[in-house]
Amino acid sequence: MLAQTSLNVVVVGGGTAGWMTAAALAKLLPNACNIHLVESEEIGIVGVGEATLPHIRSFNERLGIREAEFMARTRATFKLGIDFENWGRIGDRYIHPFGTFGRGQGEVDFHQYWLRMLHEGRPVDELERYSMACMMARLGKFALPSQDPADVTSTFNYAYQFDATLYAPFLRSIAEGLGAKRTEGRIVDVELDGETGNIRAVKLSSGERIEGDLFIDCSGFVALLIGKALNEPFQDWSKWLPCDRAVAMPCRTETAVTPYTGVIAMEAGWRWRIPLQHRTGNGYVHSSAFIDEQSATDALVAAVEGEKIAEPRVLRFKAGRRERSWVKNCVAIGLASGFLEPLESTSIYLIQAAITALLELFPEKDIADADRDEFNRVIDLEYDRIRDFLILHYHATERTDSEFWNYTRTMVIPDSLAEKLELFRRRGRVVKYREGVFLEASWIAVYLGQRIYPEDHDLRADLPNPDALQKGMESFKGEVIIAAESMPDHLGMIAQYCPMAA
Amino acid sequence: MNERAISSVLIAGGGIVGCSAAAALRKKLPAVRVIVVAVPPPADALADRIACTLPSIADFHHDIGLSEADAILRAGSGFRLGTRFEDWTQGASYIHGYGDYGRSLAASAFYQHWLRANAAGEAAPFDSYSGAVGFAAAGRFLPPEKSPVAQLSNYAYGLHIDPERYCMMMRAYALHLGAEECGSSIQDVHLRDDGFIDRVTVDGSETRADLFVDASGPAALLRSRIDREWLDWSELFTCDRFMMSEEAVQSDAPALDQAIALEQGWRWEASSPFRRSSGLVYSSNHLSNENARRLLPGATEVTLKPGRFDNPWAKNCVAIGDSAIAIEPLEWTNLHLAHSAIDRLVAMMPDRDCNPVELWDYNRQVTAEADRVRDFVLLHYAASKRDEPFWDDAVSRPLPSSLQHTLTQFRERGRLPFYEEETFARDSWAAVLIGQGVIPRRLDPLLDGVPPKESLRAMEQLRSAIHAAIAPAPTQTAYLRNLALQENR
Repeated sequence: MLAQTSLNVVVVGGGTAGWMTAAALAKLLPNACNIHLVESEEIGIVGVGEATLPHIRSFNERLGIREAEFMARTRATFKLGIDFENWGRIGDRYIHPFGTFGRGQGEVDFHQYWLRMLHEGRPVDELERYSMACMMARLGKFALPSQDPADVTSTFNYAYQFDATLYAPFLRSIAEGLGAKRTEGRIVDVELDGETGNIRAVKLSSGERIEGDLFIDCSGFVALLIGKALNEPFQDWSKWLPCDRAVAMPCRTETAVTPYTGVIAMEAGWRWRIPLQHRTGNGYVHSSAFIDEQSATDALVAAVEGEKIAEPRVLRFKAGRRERSWVKNCVAIGLASGFLEPLESTSIYLIQAAITALLELFPEKDIADADRDEFNRVIDLEYDRIRDFLILHYHATERTDSEFWNYTRTMVIPDSLAEKLELFRRRGRVVKYREGVFLEASWIAVYLGQRIYPEDHDLRADLPNPDALQKGMESFKGEVIIAAESMPDHLGMIAQYCPMAA
Repeated sequence: MNERAISSVLIAGGGIVGCSAAAALRKKLPAVRVIVVAVPPPADALADRIACTLPSIADFHHDIGLSEADAILRAGSGFRLGTRFEDWTQGASYIHGYGDYGRSLAASAFYQHWLRANAAGEAAPFDSYSGAVGFAAAGRFLPPEKSPVAQLSNYAYGLHIDPERYCMMMRAYALHLGAEECGSSIQDVHLRDDGFIDRVTVDGSETRADLFVDASGPAALLRSRIDREWLDWSELFTCDRFMMSEEAVQSDAPALDQAIALEQGWRWEASSPFRRSSGLVYSSNHLSNENARRLLPGATEVTLKPGRFDNPWAKNCVAIGDSAIAIEPLEWTNLHLAHSAIDRLVAMMPDRDCNPVELWDYNRQVTAEADRVRDFVLLHYAASKRDEPFWDDAVSRPLPSSLQHTLTQFRERGRLPFYEEETFARDSWAAVLIGQGVIPRRLDPLLDGVPPKESLRAMEQLRSAIHAAIAPAPTQTAYLRNLALQENR
């Protein structure tokens, strides 16, 4: 076995992806690499105020970041899930929570008992009443989860809503503290090795030339290295995910700072509402095939609830991913590798998944095919499973009020999703995978929240005595509401735990 | 229950697999009528005949409400903690113990730390960091829920059963739960126009059911009537013959059995408190049946045809056990695969129409599991190092791409990629790979964050803590005696 010699790693791009990568490499592979990040302040970053998934907590933990400090610095709020409005039908509302429904019942999932009660015509409450995360969200409460699995307050998880433009500088200070080098400058040329096709160096407008063994493309949509220099093709998923524009506009927070992200279906897409400590992020993700930019902007301006802080600005994108995210000696991370709309807050998660895979598969100077292939296999799996989950939101609808919804409701979906849907329709079964970001409770929340009701349920759920079952469900619901009501208000919790600097 | 629901299941097979399916169905879905046609298990139905079982058997018992007293004391079973592999790589031996080896440190799996320490010549044998191996070596036993060892490094155990007694116990339990027995031989199978089974002729009279479980062994008496689309694995496996014998003994059953590589195959020795079983698995290309008989006189002989149904479940007939998947007994997966299929059947019980999407999900899971078990069994041959013609043949066989992927990733940097429906945990793969001398070319990069001295210190502390915690445990015989005393109280 050979000892690693350290690699010169060049990170191109200093947005969220670039600095997350630089900080993680510097912290976790202190001897394996020398990091040099190139960014240009002229270009700016896309980060529009981000909603995240709970996985970010373990990322921060690995970097040794203290939660309260991180939240104060990025003006973060807590996030218990996503509140979906008007998706199944106009007027519908459900929460996709970070947490489970019911208490662990052993091998049969709670929603199966819930379905049985429903099918037997017994009184059951809405599913969200049996979820700690949902009820805390509805009541605007927050406290950190318990570590004791017997405690009902251990049945939820949480993430953050934060200002992404403040996260990158925060990570930068960590990365630089650990020895990462940073160069300010615009890249004007990428030099390839004529023989191997590897990237040899990047050239800056200043004339400086930066050589490296491994290049990380965090340049965002332009995909400077993997796209422009290496020409890796892009797999286009817009026939299933037709949204290709977002108009974004932050406003002052005049109503509640909710511990959840709002996602409201619109005429030709959907609108986000992400409350931070100092402002609320808003945006309308739409499809240019169904609505023009001006009408989308007008609709957004009319819908936001507070005084606007900045003028609306438009972002353009296309759903899909690179055929391969690691090609030659170039690893694309973040938007350079692919784009999935922010409906389920997956963009930072995908960055994190790529970083995790890169850490585990960190190469030698002569990069082994085994490293590249395995990285691409892992990343493709992540993208593909998220893709199906996103498509579900558009497809599982009864809306007929616009061309957009008529299209998504009737489009042909990938077989992998069609099978999942049919299985749920029949008996409430969720196709289980151990790998992949969205687990069972997420799928259940969206299926039921968007009116995919199973015709039948798991036969094993017929086993318990129905009166006892009903009593158990009632008492669990009571426990949930009592626990939620006794928690501090979300804003009170923030004020006490992690207030931003004035 | 809706009117489309399955109200009756007919099980063909009166062996362990058939009776276990009957018991599980009655226990979990008491509204369903269960009829067992007690077709005696043939000699080549390994899931019904092999004495060694994997740790999943304890979960199966627990799920269907069988106590330790029933499943172990009354059935004459003993505990087993793993298998000792001898001579798979010239002259060397290793133990595949069940459960974890050591415990993860920082971001890396324990075996990664071990590989680094081993490269520096500083590690004790990999086996010595396993709780299961520690118990076996000390001749002691406690189940994980009763031992502090499990907190240090979790371990697991399977059973060594007496197949005949065990089957009688399971049959009695299934009948107690309300399963009905109806005859013992099937003369005919009648299909409907849509290819579903309508009824079967049992001992001269016709019997109907909504769903048919085929637990009749490799002949697949029911399932083969629907289609014969079979994935043949004989190109992958070198061994095609199998012999087994059993004798009554009274012993302090050792908690490890032995799988000893021979010139033309391998043989096993395993003992429960009252039985000893021996077997021989070989290739008829390399060893004549006559010479095999000399190695194991008086044994039952069987031809192996490794493979599986493309779709173990088709229409209203699901094959379980050797009727679905035939694989040699190395690593004792036969009954495990049957239990796992039974669990899935109970969990995924469809309506009478056996909707294709529901069968698709069942078949997806069951075949993914079978294919990974196949990979794990093949790994022992692929990573062998011997120079006889049989072994040259074994290592030159083509590898399934999933096994090739695992081997490539492990050889390169000790990575063990995760597959869905994996039976053997990461540490089991590591135990066999490391045991057979497959050493990665590089180290896990994430070890970079933990200085070697620090991880070595943690490893050694863990090792001595495991062994200190094992010392006061009782012997297996004493543990069983204690169990019997408690039971009689």
